[in-house]
Amino acid sequence: MGTLNLEALSFRYPGRSETVLDEVTLVIPAGGIFGLLGPNGAGKTTLISILAGQLRGATGSIGAGDETLEALRRRRPHSLGLVPQEYAFYPMLTCAENLRFFGAVQGLAGARLKERVEAAARFARVESVLRRRAGRLSGGLKRRLNLAIGLLGQPEILLLDEPTVGVDPQSRAFLLESIRSLAGAGRTIVYTSHYMEEVEAICDRVAIIDSGRVLVSGALSEVIPDDSDLEELFMQLTHRSLRD
Amino acid sequence: MRRLLALWEKETLALSRDVLGLAVLFLMPAAFIVVMSLALSDVFKGGPARRTEFAVIASDGPEFAKQLTERLAGDGFHPSPEPPERGVLHVTKPALTLIVPLGFERALGTPLGKAGSPPALKLVADPSLPPALLLAFQQRVLGVVLALRVSAMMRQAGIAANADAFDLKRAATLSVETIGGSGRPSSVQQNVPAWLIFGMFFVVMPISSLFIVERREGTLARLVSLRVPFSMLLLGKVGPYFVVNLMQAVLMLLAGRTLVPWFGGETLVFPARWDLLAAVTACTSFAAIGWGLLVAVCSRTLEQATVIGGVGNILAAAVGGIMVPRFVMPEAMQKLSEVSPMAWALDAFHAVILRGGGAADIAAPCAKLLALATALFAAALWVHYRRRVLTSAQ
Repeated sequence: MGTLNLEALSFRYPGRSETVLDEVTLVIPAGGIFGLLGPNGAGKTTLISILAGQLRGATGSIGAGDETLEALRRRRPHSLGLVPQEYAFYPMLTCAENLRFFGAVQGLAGARLKERVEAAARFARVESVLRRRAGRLSGGLKRRLNLAIGLLGQPEILLLDEPTVGVDPQSRAFLLESIRSLAGAGRTIVYTSHYMEEVEAICDRVAIIDSGRVLVSGALSEVIPDDSDLEELFMQLTHRSLRD
Repeated sequence: MRRLLALWEKETLALSRDVLGLAVLFLMPAAFIVVMSLALSDVFKGGPARRTEFAVIASDGPEFAKQLTERLAGDGFHPSPEPPERGVLHVTKPALTLIVPLGFERALGTPLGKAGSPPALKLVADPSLPPALLLAFQQRVLGVVLALRVSAMMRQAGIAANADAFDLKRAATLSVETIGGSGRPSSVQQNVPAWLIFGMFFVVMPISSLFIVERREGTLARLVSLRVPFSMLLLGKVGPYFVVNLMQAVLMLLAGRTLVPWFGGETLVFPARWDLLAAVTACTSFAAIGWGLLVAVCSRTLEQATVIGGVGNILAAAVGGIMVPRFVMPEAMQKLSEVSPMAWALDAFHAVILRGGGAADIAAPCAKLLALATALFAAALWVHYRRRVLTSAQ
């Protein structure tokens, strides 16, 4: 697929005056994990939503290799997977029913669907709870099911929007290890989080955005000064004042 | 098609686990059908089929009272087995009491206008008696009095004539024939389709509640990110709720056929044209689902959906002749009721169930229901695209 190129991307919600994304330009190379950081309201989720095709009306361009992201998705509809920060599945359905449903809407059927459901469940280690209602799972299992659903279509671009929120340390460690194993083989992973130590642990490159603008972007080793860490850099760039 | 089937399966599974929601969709209209069919059976019967007791208190003596009672009886008016005393007329049993003053019998033989008016009769009526029945009894009293007067005057003129000869019932034979075998609906014919329609439109609740959960939980956003067109997401709700509406129709007709008579009410007579009944049910279902989709897309919270959907349904039912039959409404209200989709549906159901009509009779209401369904579906899509925002990202 190649590199994801965001060129002067701007966005404003209909009927609102403030610009949520202001000329965002980013280069997200394939084969690694790209950390997208920013305080609350910085525009991270909006950016993820635009990449996922949920929000329309953005100006600028998004390239995927030598074509636009839109053209790639038209050509290969399931080339992009999203793991949103909400538990985006049906709590009244069992885990297996959720996985089968999200697989089927991606065009999977028969043996292929069965195989992908099993593989995704195995990867996220939710095989033992496949027959349980999704709404009755623990927070950690819900996060793992959320990840499994995002991997059903074997996407080349994976958008992970705060995938470890509200889970215990064991589940977080497992999720981070799993996400790291997904990188490589030409897959592009965009990862947003408020946990700096997570980003430092698994990301190769980062961008810090605030008020819709990119404050810094590059390889982790390049952006963090020798005598500092990511959290210090983040606080320095985004200021210490409380956000809504 | 595979994606659409997956959406239908998901919606069916989700709906099947909402036991309370399903109970409301099936038990509520069934309960209304039974209760309202029984409660309103007398109102719908009217005339001879309804039993109304009356009594006559005549100061001219018990013989004259007996004579009047015998002549007034019939066509649903029955002499009370226990005539009231003069002093307890405020008691509402019997429903009608005719008080004949002293000298009335003698005055019958006096030509009108010669010796002034005869003493006035007085009719004491139960306030809850339908006005039409009161009017019918008034006319009956006047007819009997006229027959007695003519008979008395002819006797005075030396012509032997029995009052029976002037009985209005013998004046001519008049049979009433109404279109399709019966005119106005019976209680069960009114209430089964009416509350079925009401129940069908209540799919607005489960449609909108699941849709709002999908939007709130990010599931809808995830589906859009998987490039499932929004129009397909909406169509994914049509199939399962169409089946629910068909099941409601079958069960409510069965309730009218078995449950209502089991409780002592009338039995619903099934129509001859099942194909037309299915067509009317389908058109009503599409309109109901279209309404549900629009409410789902427009409402941001479950509370909003409950208020918009619930109040909208109740208003449409009140105006559309579901709660109060249209034929008892004043003319202005009957005109207003024509704007309610529930009235269109009820017209179509009555054309099939009540009047034994053909395809031409249901064409207009069905066309209106389908046009509404299309408009509601288009409006739901328009509202979505106008907002251009699906997630809670903002």
